[in-house]
Amino acid sequence: MRVEGVKELSGGREVVWEVLNDPASMAKLMPGVESFEVTDDTHWSANVKVPLGLGGLKMKMNFEKTEEREPEFARLVAKGTGVGAIMNMDTAFTLTEAGSGTSMKWEADVKIAGPVGSMGQRVLQPIINQQVENVLTALEKQVSEAAAQ
Amino acid sequence: MSTTTITTESGTVLEKGAIGQSIPRKEDRRLVQGQGVFFDDIRRHGTGYVHFVRSPYAHAKIVSIDVSAALALDGVYGTITGDEVAIHTDPFFEMSTPPGANIKDYALAVGKVRFQGEPVAAVCATTRELARDAAELVEVEYEPLPALVDAEEAAKDEVVLHEEAGSNIVWSGVFDWGDVDQALAEADHVVKIKRLHFHRFSSTPLECSGALVEYQKGTGQWTLYCNHQMPGVGAIWMAPALRCGIDKLRFVTQDIGGAFGNKICLHPYYVVLCLLARKLGRPVQWTEWRTDQHTANAHGNERTFLDVEVAVKADGEMTGFKVKAVDDCGAFPRYEPLGCIIWAQVTPGCYGWRNIRVDFTQACTNKAPVSPNRGYSRMQHLWLTERVVDIVAAELGLDPVEVRKRNYVKAEQMPYETPNGCVYDSGDYARSLDIALELIGYDRLDERRKDAAARGKLLGFGIGSTLDSGTNNFGQSQLLNPELQFSGNNEAAMVKLDIFGEVVVTLGTVPQGQGHETTASQVVSDIIGCSPEQVHVRPGHDSFFNSSAGFSGTYASQFAVTGLGAVKGAAELLRDEMIKLAAFVLQAPEEAIELADGFARIKDGPEEAALPFMALGAIVNANNAFLPPDFNPTLNHRYVYRPYFGVVDVEKKMGKLTLTYASQIHACLVEIDPETGQTEIVDYAAVDDCGVRVHPQIVEGQVHGATAHAIGAALHEDFVYDEDGTLLTPNFYDYHVPHTMDMPPLKTGYVESPSPVSPLGAKGMGEGGGGGIHAICSAIQDALRSEGAPIVYDSCNPSHRVWSMLQDAEQTRALVEVTSK
Repeated sequence: MRVEGVKELSGGREVVWEVLNDPASMAKLMPGVESFEVTDDTHWSANVKVPLGLGGLKMKMNFEKTEEREPEFARLVAKGTGVGAIMNMDTAFTLTEAGSGTSMKWEADVKIAGPVGSMGQRVLQPIINQQVENVLTALEKQVSEAAAQ
Repeated sequence: MSTTTITTESGTVLEKGAIGQSIPRKEDRRLVQGQGVFFDDIRRHGTGYVHFVRSPYAHAKIVSIDVSAALALDGVYGTITGDEVAIHTDPFFEMSTPPGANIKDYALAVGKVRFQGEPVAAVCATTRELARDAAELVEVEYEPLPALVDAEEAAKDEVVLHEEAGSNIVWSGVFDWGDVDQALAEADHVVKIKRLHFHRFSSTPLECSGALVEYQKGTGQWTLYCNHQMPGVGAIWMAPALRCGIDKLRFVTQDIGGAFGNKICLHPYYVVLCLLARKLGRPVQWTEWRTDQHTANAHGNERTFLDVEVAVKADGEMTGFKVKAVDDCGAFPRYEPLGCIIWAQVTPGCYGWRNIRVDFTQACTNKAPVSPNRGYSRMQHLWLTERVVDIVAAELGLDPVEVRKRNYVKAEQMPYETPNGCVYDSGDYARSLDIALELIGYDRLDERRKDAAARGKLLGFGIGSTLDSGTNNFGQSQLLNPELQFSGNNEAAMVKLDIFGEVVVTLGTVPQGQGHETTASQVVSDIIGCSPEQVHVRPGHDSFFNSSAGFSGTYASQFAVTGLGAVKGAAELLRDEMIKLAAFVLQAPEEAIELADGFARIKDGPEEAALPFMALGAIVNANNAFLPPDFNPTLNHRYVYRPYFGVVDVEKKMGKLTLTYASQIHACLVEIDPETGQTEIVDYAAVDDCGVRVHPQIVEGQVHGATAHAIGAALHEDFVYDEDGTLLTPNFYDYHVPHTMDMPPLKTGYVESPSPVSPLGAKGMGEGGGGGIHAICSAIQDALRSEGAPIVYDSCNPSHRVWSMLQDAEQTRALVEVTSK
């Protein structure tokens, strides 16, 4: 499943880049994070609970930053395993200056395999849309806070 | 001591008696009282429960499997992985010629997974729930590979599923009978159809698959309490894989909650259970979960028909057709490539086509493996013939009833030899159609169209003419692979008279609700002269009973011929011996003895000149000192019924591929809401001709069941995969089977054209040939005629597809082209 969009943020490009590339800030952005661990500069892992239908789907996620062109572009690959599901996510964002703010063009390719993937097809799109909305709102908030500092 | 007699002669049709009566079914009391014994009712001390770890990917390399966390869990008895399976077993026997022959199919995935839900490991624990929890602790690392979900794409071999085979093509070949090129050249009209698609579904049984398996270390023998519907063939697959003799596998079944062919290819699961029972030294039990049944058990064959060309004369006579068929057998050819030939049993359908060419290819894809499914392979082909007839009729402006009657094989042509050497034994298709038309009130069709139109609905009328070919000749497998050593068919039964006069019947068949106990008792009672209540038919199957033969089982619409043929043969042997014994005891000539009402007596003799069956049983079994040394009756007879087919012609791909041909003519009326595409069946009739009906109510029940399966398939049931090979309809929420409220009131009729080649004049008829699918497709196309005349190109037409056809009729019309001279 492929989702993409453009988000206008009030902070400058460096501020947004900082927020998006700080693992601690990143952890706060992600929905349902129960624990977060930084392995090195490009590898992180997290235990997350993805809301899916009845109850949450617990997954162990491994992240790897595969490409980076500061301060405008980064690509992140995430692989998650959980009961009855395997999730692969390939996400990237491009930051461009827009006046005093930043325009973030983002895209994500999400694949869920396994029985949960089968059962979740009907509900997956709205859930992903909702989660993306949550992430972007949280990002906007963090960028505003960071810009104010 | 029992005796075995084999004969191939056909007997005569029995007159009067229990046969032909709808007596109360013997099985029903225990079933409705919850006293049936299904495999899941069997309990053994110390049983371990098995859960399979399954692949979430349709196609991936297995990088590693770590079972340590599962094994560490308290209550887990053990695990097994594909690597262990590869050490302890050999790959299953493949029936195809290369490249299909080179496929290596193990009981668990070895090195690679090829469909979502493929078992990669199994965990055994104290409870079913614990095994499931422990299975979640098994860590499998995969490296995903591109998935193939389309057989035509797979045939290009850009991605190969089975590296050892080097190709995704399992089998391919051309069947060419008559001269189709000449027929097309001489035709007044040639109708071309670019593409038709028969979808993937399965006649889901109420009871999922499973087994309880015990291993006896001292004898090296396994006992499988299970629901395998064809254990003889199951053992042929399993024993070589397990590196043991057939005698080491004892299959026991009693009641089975439906099978429909889906329980033929259980051997991979059963081999894992056998290995675990031996490894762990305890009985192991596995009951399949419903989602796993949908995802990873057997589906029906999906088939695409390409470049159909039909030769039609000016008067509507159809003289031939040619087609390319691409069959999708899923990840492994487990019963395949038999589907590449089984359709040829009904090559011309109900019609007189003499010139037919079928270019057939079967390919593997990353979907669940297929297995026989009610109507197996013939249904797909018969759907093609019915689509062809309706499309030709619509495009040339012919009446669908008249064009059928013109082209049907006629009653007076029976027995009729098809272009490929099959012999339709009997039938009157035109008469059956007339009855069906009368049942749905065809003469008021215009009136009903107007009535529907007044309510904003589109009314459509459809016919589904279909055949249920039964009693398979396994020799047809040699048309695919001449090296195969399978041919003919057989079935066994034992009938004995016991010490207190009990008539005991043991069957080789594996009943799944078809009323074998009842119908066997009807046959025996008529032959030996007692009531059906006096005949005790042992329920179920036990391969240690010595009453089974190599092809024993219930499949391919054959019990009424093979099963009851064996029962009849054994009962006749018993009858003859009972007469001989009574003649000796009563000191009368054998011709003077009659068996009736549970007595052997002298015809027109004094009342005391009669021996109750109890006396005969007691003499032979317990009081036999007075019998002379040269007279040794056993009153215990085993009979193997073997239908005669002769050998097939491998070069011409011809032969008697099956023995009997029951026909079913369905007719229906549907109403379609043009706003939503929703289809409602408003009238439905099915007329069955299965020769002599041994038990009319059971026949009627089979007609109802097959029609329900067909209606589900035609309107709802579809195994849909996404591009990654994930099944999107893996449960009854998304895969809608007909509920009571979905079923129209069925009107049924019958014609009895006795088979001249079966022992009782009866024909197998349980599969129905997909008549409902054909009829509903036909009716939907008719209903949409006023809306741009779209072509119904798919066998499954849920509302969204009907709606699409309403929106863009031209897109489907582009599939058809007519050339007239």
